[in-house]
Amino acid sequence: MTVFSVNDIRKTFSNGEVEEEILKGVHLSLQEGELTALIGASGSGKSTLLTIAAGLQTATSGNILFDGRNLSTLSANKVRDVRATQFGFVFQFAHLVPFLTVEEQLLLMLDVAEVKQSKKERAANVQKLLQLVEMDHRKDAYPSTLSGGEKQRVAIARALIHKPKILFADEPTASLDSKKSKQIITLLHNLTKTLHFSTLIVTHDEEVLPFVDHVIKMQDGVILPTKDDMYTK
Amino acid sequence: MILGSIIFLVSFLTLSISGLANGLSQDNASLIKDLPEGHFYLSADAEETYNLSKIDPSIQKDVLKNHADATALSIQMGFLHNAEEKQLSAAFVTTSDSPLFPKVRQGEIIVDNSFKEKGVKIGDQLTNDQLNRSLTVKGFVEKKKFSHSPVAFVNTQDYTQMYGQKEMQMLFIPGDTTIANKDLQTFSNKAFLKAIPSYSAEQLSLTMIIWFLILISGLLFAIFFYMMNVQKIGLYGILKAIGIKMTSLFAMIWTQMFVITAIALLLSALGSQLFSLLAPDGMPYHLPINVMTQLSIVFFIVGFIGATLSGLQIKKIDPLQAIQKGDM
Repeated sequence: MTVFSVNDIRKTFSNGEVEEEILKGVHLSLQEGELTALIGASGSGKSTLLTIAAGLQTATSGNILFDGRNLSTLSANKVRDVRATQFGFVFQFAHLVPFLTVEEQLLLMLDVAEVKQSKKERAANVQKLLQLVEMDHRKDAYPSTLSGGEKQRVAIARALIHKPKILFADEPTASLDSKKSKQIITLLHNLTKTLHFSTLIVTHDEEVLPFVDHVIKMQDGVILPTKDDMYTK
Repeated sequence: MILGSIIFLVSFLTLSISGLANGLSQDNASLIKDLPEGHFYLSADAEETYNLSKIDPSIQKDVLKNHADATALSIQMGFLHNAEEKQLSAAFVTTSDSPLFPKVRQGEIIVDNSFKEKGVKIGDQLTNDQLNRSLTVKGFVEKKKFSHSPVAFVNTQDYTQMYGQKEMQMLFIPGDTTIANKDLQTFSNKAFLKAIPSYSAEQLSLTMIIWFLILISGLLFAIFFYMMNVQKIGLYGILKAIGIKMTSLFAMIWTQMFVITAIALLLSALGSQLFSLLAPDGMPYHLPINVMTQLSIVFFIVGFIGATLSGLQIKKIDPLQAIQKGDM
């Protein structure tokens, strides 16, 4: 079932008098409980597409349909609300808050998403998710004491604690070695299937591709016709 | 930590200078400052100068008769000599009967307790060049100064002999009661303090220093809060990306400012009170709670403005820039 789609997205950047079209009428849809990977060379427009889809920047034209609404017509505040409550984010770097423990990172996200839960429920949900990402034994640790892989696991838990419908992951394995990278993509794959959200992942990492359901290749601002099962399991 | 130290140092300096300003103010006019709020009256032709003022005896009699708590008083600077012929400067004060001032009989004198440090004891005989007899020290009063000199209360007859002036210089009526008389000029306590030579000039200089310190601290607050927040631009950008509200970010910035400022002010308040205990006896230092509270409120306002200015910068942060940067 399609839960999210972008239609005819165009993005033009102006650099003085020169205008450059980064996205040239892109269409994309995400299915519930499936991972979609966006691949392509640097400058192909994949990260721009992800950030537009996630409401982090606006498109020059086109529609973003989610939950029966067109996000491109919503005010910045309404888009922020959607980002906080319905979307989750994982970036190349974990970007954890340095002065909060692992557990507090997740509790902060519950506050950001304004999740109405009792203290007990919050603690239980945090514990459950930390178990899923295998970080419950480090719940009192600060980011400075975590390894790169552990940080990224916490970042994934933070992105999912408020039960988002869509997870946007921008190069989540780029700063990890191949072993950790495989562990993280496996984790993302398992969580997407278990928790039934949709994941859009931008990556350069070809080793990631066997773990995703769909692969979309971008080149020069357009999506190339791709044979899905070319990479997927 | 750095910001907290800066706020501590600046607020400590400001509180200490305020303590000195207040101390000097007390040293200059505690005799007047310790009186309840009310009104002073000088003769209209005295050009707002208390020692040129002469209250008409009939007006004085009338006022004292109609206002039970009214007082007539005179103040003149002068010298006393002890048995060792040591010269002691004093502000001689004589008053009509009043609960606000000690009652002194002819031939007696009641002096400020700073005279004790000069070896004066109860029962000592003190002399004055203009007085043909000595005055017996009957007691001491706590911290009563005028024009940086310790106050010496004398009987009106002794005062008249010393200065050859029968009329009192001023009238004081506590409370809201005012009297209308074309021969009298009315002053509030504050206005009367300004009529004391050197008081305004001294206080103005110190007040200017205090406000400059507050201004400088305001700039430092703004700069340091900005620097502190600039270091966290990545963090704020990520928080914005994941959907945090600007109101929540402002609440975080203000809470941070409040905690840092409160700790720094608490330490500087403790430091300035410790300083008042350790300051040499001769140093006029007085820092009451209300002055500390007022200055603390000013510091909180200044801190709030500094934090808000940096918050407005954070509002402009593009989450995308933060995402593209490395880990914080």
